[in-house]
Amino acid sequence: MSNLPLNINLTQIFLHLLNFLILFAILYFLLYKPVKNFMEKREKTYRDMDDEARDNLRVSEETKAQYESKMSEADSEISQMKQKSRQEIEKNRETQLAAAKDEAERIIRDAKNEATREKERILSEAQAEISEMVTDATEKLALKATAGEAFDQFLDAVDLAEERGSKHEQ
Amino acid sequence: MDKKQKKTMLIIFGVIAVVLLAGIFLTSGHGGEEEPIQVVMRDAVLHDVYKVNLFGLEINPGLAAGFTVTGILTVAALIIRIFVIPKFTLVPGKFQSVLELLVGYFDNLSKSNSPHINKVLGAYIFAAGVYIFTGTMLELFGFQVVTTAGHSVSMPAPLSDINGAIMMGCTSYLFIMTGGIAANGLRGITNTLKEYSLPISMSFRLFGALLSGALVTELVYYFTALSYVVPVLVGVMFTCLHALIQAYVLTMLVSLFYGEVSEPPKPKQKKVTAPKVKKAKELTV
Repeated sequence: MSNLPLNINLTQIFLHLLNFLILFAILYFLLYKPVKNFMEKREKTYRDMDDEARDNLRVSEETKAQYESKMSEADSEISQMKQKSRQEIEKNRETQLAAAKDEAERIIRDAKNEATREKERILSEAQAEISEMVTDATEKLALKATAGEAFDQFLDAVDLAEERGSKHEQ
Repeated sequence: MDKKQKKTMLIIFGVIAVVLLAGIFLTSGHGGEEEPIQVVMRDAVLHDVYKVNLFGLEINPGLAAGFTVTGILTVAALIIRIFVIPKFTLVPGKFQSVLELLVGYFDNLSKSNSPHINKVLGAYIFAAGVYIFTGTMLELFGFQVVTTAGHSVSMPAPLSDINGAIMMGCTSYLFIMTGGIAANGLRGITNTLKEYSLPISMSFRLFGALLSGALVTELVYYFTALSYVVPVLVGVMFTCLHALIQAYVLTMLVSLFYGEVSEPPKPKQKKVTAPKVKKAKELTV
């Protein structure tokens, strides 16, 4: 088959082909495939690392969001509690103020009652003393002096009793 | 670099230049090759003079170079697979970076040009790119092979042999077709057959590009006077450049066409009928 122009020889073409196919197989299995596999594996490793980092970032962002929502919840709870305690303090203050007012009124009322009772007692004592003095004066008049003197003494005794009574009232 | 070091470097370069010039003028002008330039050029193109014996079969030196490249790459791949890849780390070292860059480049090329189906494409263009680059760079080392006539010739790039270039072009075309079939079935075959000139263009582009490099290098080395200093520019630089360029061009073309034929058909859009325009008569009335 070597009579083709330009010295083209089919046998040699097939030998070239065989040679190239052998080389193709060798280069594919010994070089291309292992190096490509390694490159793909390394790419996968880095991709996994990247994915892992993304996941971690996502989780940390979620945690941060949760933390922030909890913080805001705690803030609102604290403000609510503050409000509640303020209201309770106000309520207690009002209750205590009312109690103090009641107490003050009660004390004043008691004091007034006491004063009234004291006045009545003094008046009754003064009346008793006056009546006793009148009785004494009457007795003395009846026993020792004349009727004019007795009458004057009686009038003096009455004046004296009235003076004392007015003093006690003051 | 201080002044003393600069002086030393200049002296060393001067001595080397003087030695090379002496070599050029003192050696005879007949060159190192016994054959006339026409024979050398014709054989570089047609490979019909020098043959290499492979288990009783006469093959072109280009095919022998192809086997050599496969052997070298196999040993290198084995060493890398056994000693380097198991020690790969998450933070790559220099050599690991180079390997990852190489594999990653072809992988990305396949994914970007053929987003729908690209599992085997990356491996194919990786193998093709490495084969073209390493095979072309083999020219630089001038590995010798003994011909059936008993001559010693340096191994050319495997794809500067037209049979190697045809193999690479046709295999790439068939590979593109398999991508079309895998993605679109019979429609994929039709899509690939539309590009019927692709195997020829790819084959001859590779052949022409690599052959021209081989010819220039051969020409330069043919004359002794040119074999000093000049090969540093012509040999090394040109070889490196066209090794890179041809590997890039073929892998790019394969991935582009593979992506094109494996692209799923676009759904047909319903024709939107334009609202009827009232006739001018009706409007005037």
